[in-house]
Amino acid sequence: MNSLTRVLAIGAFVVAFGGFVAVEWAARREGSRVPAIGDIGGFVMRYRAGRLPVGRIGVYGFWLWLGWHLFAR
Amino acid sequence: MEPPDVVPEPAPRPTAVPGAPAWARPMVMLPALAGCALVGGLFPSFSKRATFAVLLFGGLLVWLGSSGRLPRRPVPRRLPATAAWWLVPTLFLAIVELVNFLLGSTYQHPTLSVLLDPVLAQYPARAAAYFGWLTGLWSLVRR
Repeated sequence: MNSLTRVLAIGAFVVAFGGFVAVEWAARREGSRVPAIGDIGGFVMRYRAGRLPVGRIGVYGFWLWLGWHLFAR
Repeated sequence: MEPPDVVPEPAPRPTAVPGAPAWARPMVMLPALAGCALVGGLFPSFSKRATFAVLLFGGLLVWLGSSGRLPRRPVPRRLPATAAWWLVPTLFLAIVELVNFLLGSTYQHPTLSVLLDPVLAQYPARAAAYFGWLTGLWSLVRR
């Protein structure tokens, strides 16, 4: 049986993902000044510490961990 | 003479990276990623085959992205202040996930993993999510 806390948690996750969709939708509107999620990812991946592409390693690492966590763990 | 009232149409958002090799075009890559997702989705969680598939498919895409064989999409050198809008859903999601994690990650206080596990146990949803994961990584390695 679904308790109130479970319903609240699911509702909060829905609101969070709705927020991502809303910001991306706003970013893709013509003339928008909000960068799209791809621009954010690309910007983060540009970050380097010396010759080491720290941003790229971090983003790839997070995405690989996410796949492993969802499909293999 | 007055200028014409016709405003030129804005350039469409590019769907293919200029200069990309033929095999890297969406017509080729999307069916290939779908095939990988259909195979990867077959393996149950906590199996060595599932771990191997994630490492194989993910590692292959990361290697392709790092090899310099793919032209990169242009990336902004600086982000405008409006980029802070992304912090709103990101921080909200992080707080919700953290609170439920600290409350035990149980049925009553589920984290995302607890909510997604029964969904991803079904093959169609698992293969679809696998496809989303692979296309997301494919999008990242071209930036």
